[in-house]
Amino acid sequence: MKTKKLIISAIVCLILIIASLPYMTACGGADKEGKTIKLGISTPSTGVAAEKGRPLEHGQKDAIAYVNAELGGVEGYQIEIVWRDNGYDAAQMSNIVRNFMDEGCVMFSTSSSAMMTASMGLANEYGFAGLAAFSSPNLYRPPQHIYGQLPDYGDDFLAFMDYYLDEMWEGSGQPKVAIHALNNSTGKGAINAARAYAEEMGITVLWDGAEGKAFEHKADSISEMESLTRIKAMNPDVLYISSTPAPTALIVKNARELGMDVVIASGHAGLTSALVDLAGEDAEGVYGVFPTVSWGDDVPGMDKMMEYCEANHPEDAGNGDYITGWTQSLIMMEIVRTALQNADYDALASGDADAWAITENEGIKKLVNYDVEGLHGPVSYTIDDNRLSKSVLIFKIQNGIIKAITDWIEAPVVRYEDLDWFGQ
Amino acid sequence: MSLPCGIRNLTYAQDMAIVRTKTQWGMLLGLLVVVFTAPLYLSNYWLGVFNLIGITIIAATGLNILTGYCGQLSIGHAGFIAVGAYTSAILTTRFEMPFLVGLICAGLMAGVIGIIFGLPSIRVKGFYLAITTIAAQFIIMWIINQWGWTGGQLGMTVPFASIGGYVFKSGMSQFYLIIGITVLCIFIAKNLVRTRVGRAFIAIRDNDLAAEVMGVNLTYYKLMAFFIGCFFAGIAGSLFAHWNITLTPEQFSFKNSILYVGIIIIGGLGKSVGPILGVLLINLLKEVLTINVVPFLEDKLTMFPSGFASGVTPMLFGLVIVLFLILEPRGIAHRWNLIKASYRLWPFSY
Repeated sequence: MKTKKLIISAIVCLILIIASLPYMTACGGADKEGKTIKLGISTPSTGVAAEKGRPLEHGQKDAIAYVNAELGGVEGYQIEIVWRDNGYDAAQMSNIVRNFMDEGCVMFSTSSSAMMTASMGLANEYGFAGLAAFSSPNLYRPPQHIYGQLPDYGDDFLAFMDYYLDEMWEGSGQPKVAIHALNNSTGKGAINAARAYAEEMGITVLWDGAEGKAFEHKADSISEMESLTRIKAMNPDVLYISSTPAPTALIVKNARELGMDVVIASGHAGLTSALVDLAGEDAEGVYGVFPTVSWGDDVPGMDKMMEYCEANHPEDAGNGDYITGWTQSLIMMEIVRTALQNADYDALASGDADAWAITENEGIKKLVNYDVEGLHGPVSYTIDDNRLSKSVLIFKIQNGIIKAITDWIEAPVVRYEDLDWFGQ
Repeated sequence: MSLPCGIRNLTYAQDMAIVRTKTQWGMLLGLLVVVFTAPLYLSNYWLGVFNLIGITIIAATGLNILTGYCGQLSIGHAGFIAVGAYTSAILTTRFEMPFLVGLICAGLMAGVIGIIFGLPSIRVKGFYLAITTIAAQFIIMWIINQWGWTGGQLGMTVPFASIGGYVFKSGMSQFYLIIGITVLCIFIAKNLVRTRVGRAFIAIRDNDLAAEVMGVNLTYYKLMAFFIGCFFAGIAGSLFAHWNITLTPEQFSFKNSILYVGIIIIGGLGKSVGPILGVLLINLLKEVLTINVVPFLEDKLTMFPSGFASGVTPMLFGLVIVLFLILEPRGIAHRWNLIKASYRLWPFSY
């Protein structure tokens, strides 16, 4: 009798629990319904770097649309985008960052190191964390509130030269390397790395006069025949270009026109399908460094990303910048997820100075081995190093396709701030 | 200046006064109340927008003195602003001088550099002078890019402005500092063109040969116009440096120099209110397009190819400027004068 009562009671309890489950779930969902977390995104979708900015913008927005639509947002909260086109105009950036702060964004991102450089003073002053897809050592050496999604332009140079010395250099003595650099932080990153490590690596950098002065070009350059003629006269073994795709393509074409017999390599700001489109056959055989996998590689996140790209922005198919944009948003949402696991939603959603501190301390600084669905190297925060991903791949353009020719290469931490010439 | 019907100037002081009628006083006070209470109802972002507008007005006022009043075409104004910005930044960071010293030195340094690049104006004018000022832009920016003290291409971080221990860090405090200096600069510029110097500038602009015959020393006054115009640019540069707190050479591009010329043409060349109206139109148009129009178009115009909204912004910006120049080639200041004239005659417009 007693057992029978217990069984009946248990069944009744079970029925009650099962019956109330939909209401409990509904209550949980209703709690989060309409609640959002804001992320600030700024891309150079117009202006001289638009060929990079547009695929980056599309990748970032598509990744957030995917997470909101298919994964129910981050921890049940929808992600709201506050997007601003900066037109690659440095004078615009500080007001865009002010706008992000006013709108209640928990953090912001820029695509380019130049735009982050223009706004980092405010971001550091207010403790408003920024994530730059493409970065240069000046953004976070010494580390403050600006983070690099990927290894920086200095890491590109070091990784490629390591590869070149190990796998390609067959001459005697030291190889001679000429650097053609964009006249902003994109170019400066490679110059700084070359200056810091040339002696240790055993390479001779062909400076344009004084040490530390590379051959420079502007983003809207229309001919580099003059500078390349001077470089050719110095008989280099390697021509390393640290720039955006359009000027990189111009330099490659001009170098081919001059009949330069050198190994040409590009940093990751220039190595995209836009380079192949712009330089055509002249791009064949160009090496480069890029911190994401190739388009179509067999990694977990590739199919979903390609599906969204095909549906929303088919013109970006094959473009590495789309992958970078997509992964940048995935990382920002992972930061929000980590922060939400360690802090209260209301505190984070307020988008004020406390929320910025939570995002940084409970989100960014607690990132450990986030795999970004295999699309680029793992993402972790390590003390005294604001580069969240530290791995790059070496690529070569063959038959119009940018193919990876190495496995992931880890870029070491370089404490540039300890060098007396850094920032001078 | 014309006055409403029935009002006469009875003394010299009345004749020279800038603000003369009760209506003008009322409007001025109303404007000052609106401006100085703006931080109470504007967000931090919009305060930032108006801070940048104030800084741009100072720089454009300098260019208006040089080009609008004295007729010396300068297409290197962003370079002179950069001189002021970096002078102030270097003095306050590397030499730890107070902000006010940096501000004044920024104006003086930009003024001196302006005189150096203004020297060709003694022999050439018009398009030829424009070419020499373009050279100024490129030479100045090259030096800034190469010189270690400026941080080169990576730029430099600058402290917020501070006076007597008070740091102008919040948007509101920066607004009062910048708008205060802007009002002062406009007042100085307005009065300058009513003095002997200003009349000499106008005489040179209208006919330099005739001016010389009248006894105007062309060399002296042309170089003075360069000094004053670039002094204002230097002050604007200093304020920009301590407001933005990050300086990079890319913030002072050749494109910006051309935009400054566009601003004073659209606002009204040789009118003290011209730079104010020109800057308000250009900056607000740019902000509204960037912040409101493009995101709206991105959301709503889904039938168009991706990137359409981004691409339409520069087109809209250019279209508005072109339409404006076609419909009101004498600048907004002329339209403003027509409105004032119509008010003076109202309600008997004959």
